[in-house]
Amino acid sequence: MSTTKYASAVAAVKAMEGTLLTRNDMEQLIGASGQSEFSALLTAKKGTSADESAETVWSMIKSYAPKSRELEILLYKNDFHNLKAALKSMISGREANQYYIRPTNLDLNHLSEILAEKSYENLPVHIRKTAQEAYELLVRTSDGQLSDSFIDAETLRTIQKDSEEYGGDFMQSYALLTIVYADIKTAYRCSRMKKQRAFLENAICGSKELEKDALVTAALEGTESLMTMLESSGYSEIAGLLNESAAQFEKRCDDVIMELAQTARMKSFGSEPLAAYYLAAEAEQKNLRIISVCREFGADRETINERMRMLYV
Amino acid sequence: MNSIGITLAITGAVLAALFAGIGSARAVGLVGEAAAGVVSVDPSKFSKVLILQLLPGTQGLYGLLIAILLLSRIGVLGGGAVELTTAQGLMFLAASLPMAIVGYFSAMAQGRAAVAGVGITAKKPEHSGKGIIMAAMVETYAILALLVSILLIYNIAI
Repeated sequence: MSTTKYASAVAAVKAMEGTLLTRNDMEQLIGASGQSEFSALLTAKKGTSADESAETVWSMIKSYAPKSRELEILLYKNDFHNLKAALKSMISGREANQYYIRPTNLDLNHLSEILAEKSYENLPVHIRKTAQEAYELLVRTSDGQLSDSFIDAETLRTIQKDSEEYGGDFMQSYALLTIVYADIKTAYRCSRMKKQRAFLENAICGSKELEKDALVTAALEGTESLMTMLESSGYSEIAGLLNESAAQFEKRCDDVIMELAQTARMKSFGSEPLAAYYLAAEAEQKNLRIISVCREFGADRETINERMRMLYV
Repeated sequence: MNSIGITLAITGAVLAALFAGIGSARAVGLVGEAAAGVVSVDPSKFSKVLILQLLPGTQGLYGLLIAILLLSRIGVLGGGAVELTTAQGLMFLAASLPMAIVGYFSAMAQGRAAVAGVGITAKKPEHSGKGIIMAAMVETYAILALLVSILLIYNIAI
């Protein structure tokens, strides 16, 4: 008989699905006459601010599954982003706190301190080596872009490695999609900017769907060659969006991840529904930001709807 | 006196109570875990999820019933155990197995179905009845096993 792990957490998450914003709620928010009405509607439905949504969900999930290495993978993107922010703040002398993304697996109160003291052993295992190497690279070259590119590539490699080591089918699929889309985007940009092989080899992670060597070679030959290569891999449609608009590409990538999350929605046990619910909360937060920013710049309803990510409920 | 026969028959009673009881305990615990998760978010759903938690508890009761009937039939409960041949003892042991085995597995299966029902209640409380019906369907097979065990126990010639 298959596992019955996290029965309690999954049931709690299902009960909380009712608090996620529906399409109707989003339409109401888009149509709100002013910021005060927008905030009132949001508070009435969620009882929390848009910025806290994913953090609250993560706290709840961690309270049920405090030792799950698998679920922590969902925050790796935030962790590595926060590492970049902390390193940059060290160099620039600016306060890093405003650039941090939450939730994270890192202790943000002490991150800068740890990096300054080079006490990397106080960082979570998955980020230790990268933090040390990125710091040394930054000190040696003073090239922030190079350091960022190194950290971005390490983010993907760590997601790939840990999802294979700790993750189930769902997490491995999530990791694969994350890596494939990031690689396509990097390869496309590099081919447009005519980057050198060394840069591409460092920046592209590679996966069983899109092999690193093939992607690097195609990107070096140019955008057309890259698109031809992607056509044979089944990613031509999504890659084609890059030619039209980066925003459309990002939206499609997020929607595919949400489609994956929806497959876990029916399950009654295991970490998949927990991961799916976290991704739903993250997508909701992103949607609320899109609505907020678009409203601020006076975008019409059609434009906002075009940019909105797929909803979980 | 052939003590092997009576030992086998008593073993049958023990197995019926034991396996059906373990199955129910595990399943009720599992549904309880899920139910607690829902109640921690929305305490008003307590009564609805409690029904689902109770459902897989019946197999344990059926196992107990079979154990009592069997012990009563062989006279152990009345204090005057009848003398059984080895073959008769084996027959009583075999008679208890449907309840022991089906009891264990149906309780576990019902527990999983009930957890899914808890999920329905959590998301759509107005449809909780459907979750109860789906979990209750598994009960059919525990009842069939109970009937077979009862019929066998009462029809073994002693």
